[in-house]
Amino acid sequence: MKKVIALVLLVLLVMPVLFAAGQAEKKGGYEIVVVPKDASNPWFVRMKVGVDEYAKETGLNVYQRGTPQIDATLQAQLIQDLIAQGVDALCVVPVDLESLEPVLGQARDAGIVVVTHEGAALENVDYDIEAFSNAGYGAFIMDNLAEAMGGEGVYTTMVASLTNGSHNEWADAGVAHQKSAYPKMQLLDAEKRVESFDNGDVAYNVAKELFKKYPNLKGIMGTSSYDAPGVARAIEELGLIGKAFTSGTGMPLDNAALLESGVVKSLTLWDPALAGKAMIALAVKVLDGDKIEGTVDLGVDGYTNMKFKAGSDTVLEGEGWIVINADNVYDFGF
Amino acid sequence: MEMKTQTLLKKLSRRNEPYIFLVLLALCLLIEVRSGQFFSSNNLVDIASALIVPGLFAIGAFMVIVSGGIDVSFPALASLSVYATTKYLLDTNYQGGVWVAIVMALAIGAVLGAFNGLFIGYFKLPALIVTLGSSSVFKGIMQGALNSKQLTTIPVGMREWGTSSLFIAKNPVSGLTSRMPVASLAFVIVLALVFLMLRYTMFGRGIYAIGGSEASAHRAGFGVVKTKFIMYIMVGMIASLAGVIRVCMMQQAHPTNMLGMEMNIIAGVVLGGTAITGGRGTLLGCMLGTLLIVIVENSLILLGVPTSWKSVFTGALIIIGTGVSAYQVIRMNSTRKIKAKIQEVV
Repeated sequence: MKKVIALVLLVLLVMPVLFAAGQAEKKGGYEIVVVPKDASNPWFVRMKVGVDEYAKETGLNVYQRGTPQIDATLQAQLIQDLIAQGVDALCVVPVDLESLEPVLGQARDAGIVVVTHEGAALENVDYDIEAFSNAGYGAFIMDNLAEAMGGEGVYTTMVASLTNGSHNEWADAGVAHQKSAYPKMQLLDAEKRVESFDNGDVAYNVAKELFKKYPNLKGIMGTSSYDAPGVARAIEELGLIGKAFTSGTGMPLDNAALLESGVVKSLTLWDPALAGKAMIALAVKVLDGDKIEGTVDLGVDGYTNMKFKAGSDTVLEGEGWIVINADNVYDFGF
Repeated sequence: MEMKTQTLLKKLSRRNEPYIFLVLLALCLLIEVRSGQFFSSNNLVDIASALIVPGLFAIGAFMVIVSGGIDVSFPALASLSVYATTKYLLDTNYQGGVWVAIVMALAIGAVLGAFNGLFIGYFKLPALIVTLGSSSVFKGIMQGALNSKQLTTIPVGMREWGTSSLFIAKNPVSGLTSRMPVASLAFVIVLALVFLMLRYTMFGRGIYAIGGSEASAHRAGFGVVKTKFIMYIMVGMIASLAGVIRVCMMQQAHPTNMLGMEMNIIAGVVLGGTAITGGRGTLLGCMLGTLLIVIVENSLILLGVPTSWKSVFTGALIIIGTGVSAYQVIRMNSTRKIKAKIQEVV
């Protein structure tokens, strides 16, 4: 009896290996692995959708493998395993830049192409892909706000805090874009920038005050993902739907109700599925020996006109922002 | 008659509340002058609805401070109990009314409060140390065991209760509307119950007695340990109620965005003339102090204070306000000493 059980167990153990081997043989070309921060976060589940789609379209041996939870150590171990496995390229969304740097160094020493996403400060990479430049994204939020406001009226900007780097860059860029593209709009002079502390309740209370104090205020440009939803709550309660508007970063499912009821016309974001595809496309280009210079076209929406970040020869910035509105709010799964 | 008014004025001048009230009034008038919006019906409703959650927290913090302790764990406690409740109800796909949520959160709050009470009451450990620790423990349970992240949808009963209103105030000039949440009733009820308890029950008087002097309270026959234990349970329940109200009103459960409220709440309580050393203070003063903080926090834009100066302004007001209270205490103590001296001499 014991022998039978042992045999069954052994077969069970070996089977996946056999199948895996079969799979690998079936698919030709490069083996490229995408390593997200973790496997269960809806953001990266969405990324996997893009990766799987890419695999289907190209027939390459491309797959995503994540750790069960966000953990820098686990991610490093997983990458070391993959190095030992001898994959051709690694596409990594790093959990912790510093602890990953040596591991990515090992990968490159082993001749593996390394592409990262949201890791602009990393050194041991071939390239890093950013969905957009801060300036470009700020202008994009402004376009959405301007569209809702009909291109005219007084507006102000909201950031998590006045010391937050990217939020203030987005807001600055939004204001600069308004000045050049929407002359009929005007930045509220008395309150050019307010803070929400990444807290929906603060955003809500601040917005209520702003609309009370400045009756001609027509729009608020949000940056943090708590801003626009908080402002929207204030717009709804104050009875200003259709008279006051907001736009800014926001997660789709979190804001489905707001978008469907029309309190907010559009929110802005970037799509992890496309970012996943873009990483692989770039890795393939590098493996093919293509020269990466000037503007790079990865053949992925929003990543067709990628430029190197000023002063860097590894960081590529795209235009990978997307609009989320009532029509596509349920398409992302997060 | 004249004598009576005089003694009344004298009595009042020795208390803290009239000063806070005057500061409050001056601030309101200043905001009104600067914005013309303060005394509009919708703004008053906004202030009232912004007071609900800090007000409930303040009631709990007040009881603890009067008893001679200090509690910095209540935002974490409230976050944990409401987060666990919301998550459980979402997981079980609960479709009923808000009552289950409130009862569940109160029960969890009672257990967590008992945790504080056990260490502070029975083991006689310093309240600050215990609550600093339990605050970390509560946060840890949320992040570890419950794997907390923002819950963007909440059960339908909680959602409906959070947006239902007693009445809606409309500003005839600007046309802006504000709703007075039904949850404000909960606040009023708790306030009334605690007021009656502190004033008319032996348990309530016991809290004051312990804060005045634990040894004396013990000799006078108060069960010090038991009183403290029960009080921390009550405080945990009140904080959890505040947490439920906050989540219902915000329409989402965010695990960390109540954290950090404790400092301004405690400042408000002290601002209201509650002695930080315990034993003295009134619920009225506590509410006035909290109201002052809430108004300041929610009127800086109306006042036209630039965003970059916001925290400086809030901080300065807290220092001035608590300074006034502290000065009152010093004055009161010195007159007492003088009186005692006079009696000795006589």
